[in-house]
Amino acid sequence: MTFQTICIRLNRKYLSILLLLFVGLNINAQDAALTAISNPKGAPATMKMSELKSIMKGEKQRWSDGTKVSIVLMKTNTATGEITCQKIYNMSGDKVKRFWLGLSFSGKADAPTFCNSLAELESIVAQTPGAIGILDRVSTGTGIKTILVDGKNSF
Amino acid sequence: MPRLKSISIIGILLVLIGSSSGLYSQTTQIRGFADVMASLQKEKVSFALGEQDLFITSELSDRFSFLGESVFRFTNTTPTKFSVSIERIVIKYNVAGNHNILLGKHHTPINYWNDTYHHGRVLFPTIFRPLLFDANIIPLHTTGISLQGHNLGDMKFGYDLMVGNGIGSTDVLDNDKRKSITAAVHIKPVEGLRFGFSWYNDVITKGATAHDGMILDWTVNQNLFTGSIAYFGNKFEVLAEATAGTNKTDTTGSQHTMAAYIYAGFKIKEKIVPYLRFDNLHFGQGEIFYNKNNTTSIVTGIRYNLNYVTAVKLEYQHQHGEKEGDTDRLTMQLAIGF
Repeated sequence: MTFQTICIRLNRKYLSILLLLFVGLNINAQDAALTAISNPKGAPATMKMSELKSIMKGEKQRWSDGTKVSIVLMKTNTATGEITCQKIYNMSGDKVKRFWLGLSFSGKADAPTFCNSLAELESIVAQTPGAIGILDRVSTGTGIKTILVDGKNSF
Repeated sequence: MPRLKSISIIGILLVLIGSSSGLYSQTTQIRGFADVMASLQKEKVSFALGEQDLFITSELSDRFSFLGESVFRFTNTTPTKFSVSIERIVIKYNVAGNHNILLGKHHTPINYWNDTYHHGRVLFPTIFRPLLFDANIIPLHTTGISLQGHNLGDMKFGYDLMVGNGIGSTDVLDNDKRKSITAAVHIKPVEGLRFGFSWYNDVITKGATAHDGMILDWTVNQNLFTGSIAYFGNKFEVLAEATAGTNKTDTTGSQHTMAAYIYAGFKIKEKIVPYLRFDNLHFGQGEIFYNKNNTTSIVTGIRYNLNYVTAVKLEYQHQHGEKEGDTDRLTMQLAIGF
């Protein structure tokens, strides 16, 4: 076996490992499931994905019962925050922050509350009538309901 | 009697705030914007401070909110060489759903740029505003009352109906009985795309001071019609706006002015956007309200967004004005938010 052949075989091996790692990570990011949660007051029990995206972009000020919509998100530099940016906003974390800066600056919508931890997010949603938030798991917390999006409790 | 009226209005406001507050905890945010520049013009390099903009929002209650924007900028006429201006004070009351009443000093919702970018230079697609702003074609501010609705129905229809002190007035007193009227509508049929149209009317009394300090010799009936198309997608950005203005007096008749610009940007990467902008101002031959100076300009530049609150722009502008001839300028700007 020549030195060149060994190099090619080693390269193939490492390339395969790198490829598997990349695919694995990619599947991880795209398949990580999110769940929409809300305070019992305000949000409906079910909604379409398009409605959820519209609400999370500040396009709705009040729920049908008149409660004010309050958006609660994980910070964009957290794992759940990053996935939320991709799946809900189809933007990078920086673009989402810029989007909200522009919107609140123009006075068209109130900026969301950004949280450091999932526990903090759950707590704010539970305490704020009309609050809606995004988690990376189905919540079992008290004072919280899970919204079915397109008929599913995660997406 | 006027005093009784004022007390009644204040009383109603207090009742509204009280009834909508419940257990509401007030949330106040203070943000700001600033920018610095360096420019090369006529073989001379100059450094310049831009504006420092303080921006405050506060949710006063479940339905009441406040927005304030104050700007500190260079002014040659004050002892300190700086001045402070109140750019916006808006108290918003959410009536129902996406319908609001707004009171205070607003950026007149006459076109997309004036209603979107305000004084946050980091959010501007180019370094400087389009020429129609510098030429005072449109009234930038209106102090008054406004009805506003947005994202209504599948087409995401929006409207603004504003009544306020007209041109020549101050933020505390109208100079005549006539009020300015702004009516604007827009739709957002698909993500990132917005079509808008507006109409502005004011009767500006003889003797009033116009935007550029000119004292009017005639009473002017002004109508401004503005159309705009904005598309900000993942790859392309396009913003085109045109204002057709008619200034009519009993003695000089109607004079027509057209001001327009088109901006286009292409994201070669998410953070890097080369762009172009073309501006054109065309005034009627006997224009009496605006400072007649037919001008064209082309701007080419590149924007690099370091992060969501920091942007560097490098821009070259060639301008041809009827009065000043050709001018060229190369400008670099660092704009931040904080």
